Amino acid sequence: MTFINYVAREINCKIVYYGPGLGGKTTNLQYVYQITNAENKGKLISLATETERTLFFDFLPIDFGQIRGFRTRFHLYTVPGQVFYDSSRKLILKGADGIVFVADSQEERLDANLESISNLAQNLQEQGFDIAKIPYVLQLNKRDLPSALPVEELTRHLLIKGEPVFEAVAPKGDGVLPTLKAVARQVLIELRKSA
Amino acid sequence: MSHGAATLGAACSVSSNTFNLHDLEYQRIQTVLTRMQKELRAQLVLLINRSGQPIVISGPAENIDCTALASLAAANLAATDGLANIVGEREFSVLVHQGRQRSLFISDLLKRFSLVLVFDASASSGLVRYKCKRTILLLEEIIQEFQRKIEKEEPVTGIPQFTDEELEELLR
Repeated sequence: MTFINYVAREINCKIVYYGPGLGGKTTNLQYVYQITNAENKGKLISLATETERTLFFDFLPIDFGQIRGFRTRFHLYTVPGQVFYDSSRKLILKGADGIVFVADSQEERLDANLESISNLAQNLQEQGFDIAKIPYVLQLNKRDLPSALPVEELTRHLLIKGEPVFEAVAPKGDGVLPTLKAVARQVLIELRKSA
Repeated sequence: MSHGAATLGAACSVSSNTFNLHDLEYQRIQTVLTRMQKELRAQLVLLINRSGQPIVISGPAENIDCTALASLAAANLAATDGLANIVGEREFSVLVHQGRQRSLFISDLLKRFSLVLVFDASASSGLVRYKCKRTILLLEEIIQEFQRKIEKEEPVTGIPQFTDEELEELLR
């Protein structure tokens, strides 16, 4: 849910990073946190297990700057990718304004990607959202790994509505910011349309 | 945003999936929160939405990250709703976390908002519950009154109409 505070002159939006386990969702947020100036970011909160796997979510508030005198703040969340944390994923999707799907490019993870997209569509539908309408970006992560499938093959399987696609190597930051900016652009355009 | 049916106003006008906080409602809510904060000598009182965004804050928040607090409180309440469903309850609408120095009270408000209170752990929990309950009723009244108002009148949207160039400049 986009929250516009006319008193503080702020626009607040929620973006959720979705995708299969160990796909790089948390790494995306960690990179955004690393390269953002201190005055434009809040704390990076990670609710993780003792083995650093996301248990509930990661959270990072980012300030993009001002537009028409309004501060634009994006609250970035990740979901836990492991299949058995589905209840947590549903909770985190509530009120989302935009989704980044972080796909793992490795051939052996193709089924996990497909399962996760299907799970996303179902969880959105349960909350009255339509995956075809919500701002959505596909990131093909782990492009540097030897078993990464060609982009054409991945998009043939994973593209769902002609969404923007970005190749990424999240630990190096490749593709991370273009992905975030693309989903932020879609969210703000949708917001402008809703006036 | 067209996803999700937003039927509720809040201290806000509602346009599908957005809500907009205006000065009048902000001031009324702020007055209610400040009064409770003073009565309970609480460190901090927040009205947040269930997406985890702080809406109105009362109290000296220098030592507390309100953005993080709001996010975690909303997640906490959402997880608790999940737990309630599993054990066959419709909801657990109130959460209290007792600390050594500070305690935390989180309560649902109309299923779309939450009241969050950080207070001295030595305060009477009964008094905290009583005052919070009273405050929630007042906030519900303000929100529902505003909802009735916007149903009768033209909704105020006032979403900034930025140009494509301004948007690209923001994302540069």
